[in-house]
Amino acid sequence: MVELKDVSVTYSSGVDALNHVSLKINDGDFAFVVGSSGAGKSTMIKLLLKEIDATEGKVYVNGYHLGKLKRRKIPELRRTIGIVFQDFRLIPSMTVYENIAFVLRVIDAPAKYIRKRVPYVISLVGLQAKTNSYPNELSGGEKQRVAIARALVNDPKLIIADEPTGNIDPELSYEIVDLLKGINACGTTVLMVTHEHDLVRHFGGRIINIAQGEIVYDEIIGGADESEWN
Amino acid sequence: MKASGIKYLVGQGIDNVWKNRMMAFASFCVLLVSLLLVGLSVLAYFNVTSIIGGIEQKNEVIVYLDDDTDDEALEQIGNNLRGMPNVTGVNFYSKEEAYESLKASMAEYEVLFESLGDDNPLVDAYRIKVGDISEISATIAQIRNFDHIYSIRAPYDFVNILVQLRRILTLVMGAIILAMVIVSMVIISNTTKTSVYSRREEIQIMKYVGATDSFIRFPFFVEGMVTGFFAGVIAFVLTAVVYKAVVETLQNQVALLSIIGMGNIIQFSDIYLPVAASYVIGGALIGAVGSSISTRKYINV
Repeated sequence: MVELKDVSVTYSSGVDALNHVSLKINDGDFAFVVGSSGAGKSTMIKLLLKEIDATEGKVYVNGYHLGKLKRRKIPELRRTIGIVFQDFRLIPSMTVYENIAFVLRVIDAPAKYIRKRVPYVISLVGLQAKTNSYPNELSGGEKQRVAIARALVNDPKLIIADEPTGNIDPELSYEIVDLLKGINACGTTVLMVTHEHDLVRHFGGRIINIAQGEIVYDEIIGGADESEWN
Repeated sequence: MKASGIKYLVGQGIDNVWKNRMMAFASFCVLLVSLLLVGLSVLAYFNVTSIIGGIEQKNEVIVYLDDDTDDEALEQIGNNLRGMPNVTGVNFYSKEEAYESLKASMAEYEVLFESLGDDNPLVDAYRIKVGDISEISATIAQIRNFDHIYSIRAPYDFVNILVQLRRILTLVMGAIILAMVIVSMVIISNTTKTSVYSRREEIQIMKYVGATDSFIRFPFFVEGMVTGFFAGVIAFVLTAVVYKAVVETLQNQVALLSIIGMGNIIQFSDIYLPVAASYVIGGALIGAVGSSISTRKYINV
């Protein structure tokens, strides 16, 4: 569960990135966060990952009150969140398998569990044939699938996808959102940040529109397509 | 953390040396040069002080006694001298010995000695060696307070030169070593920073997936330690080669050896263990600490 209660963020430069934002995303929800550049989308993600702190208001993520969370407890919070970036952020010196297994090693998972879980997650994103490939041997769509598998592997309560379709071909964008929808169907909360309105209109669901640091629209709309996962 | 986790992180650190071999090689070279600069400077300093120490040991103070000093008083003065903390050697030199020696050295003036008959104009003396020659004046002042002291002859000029020389050398070598250490640390810190900077994204990803600071730092720590260890080993081998070559060259310089004394040059076989340990432990420690300190800047994500 994600909850923002009257949250404002003002950067040291004096820029008001978020202005009295209140928002609640329940467990198992799928929400698109849309808005133009500089609207406050990235600030919201940074806030949820406790990369920055709110200047005012309260932020709750997966049961953690971020305002009261000590620095040494941040890794604990982040282990309940899977994050997918626009630029994939895979470790170039690691294979697909290693990039995914790495997350489980961070949480000190048993080696036996890693050997079982990683191939399973790789199969979920359909990349069995690329298990031993390095990121530079993959296409943009494949890299994003690896990033999604990495976000998924430790079974997080929440997946935050920050413009996951921004660096891949438009036709592959639908596949990526389909994949995220499928993950959501299994009970994981998904928060997808995007500025691709066509994509949002196509899939429908809860749309949160941010402009100039404020929520200007938060509604559920019907999509043009029913995903194969639903 | 489980043993398997530690094994994984150590493995990662070792793997990283190969994966980031260009940066690892740069760190290795910087560490190697730094260790060599500091190591050779320290060895040079120890040798120079050993040589000066050897020359200092050649100092001799002669304490002449009054002609009427009886055997009991002679004995007492000898014991008092031996009991002094800054006196390392005491040898009695009787006036008879001194007279015979004088006659032997001035054989062409035999007539002169014959004119003296049985009269021996010389006096008994103690030849003493002083431990710390910078304290020679204080030691002599103490001896002057003894009874039956006729006069004392000490190599004041020689001592003053040596004391000054040692003081200047300690200052100059100390400054050189300190400068080397500071320069080395700055270069090592910058090299490891560059190495860590090139992997800042990797560190950020680790942070986003919930890695603790120690989990992120540990492989860098191991990586730095491995690089530093090998730099230490190679520095030791190069030092051994250079040191032996220098000692061999000095052994052929007979004139120079007569001044400094071969025994005052420290033989590599006597010091190779502490030298090896200092290089390897120093290299591994500087490498490990340098890398993990440099990660600090990129860890606060």
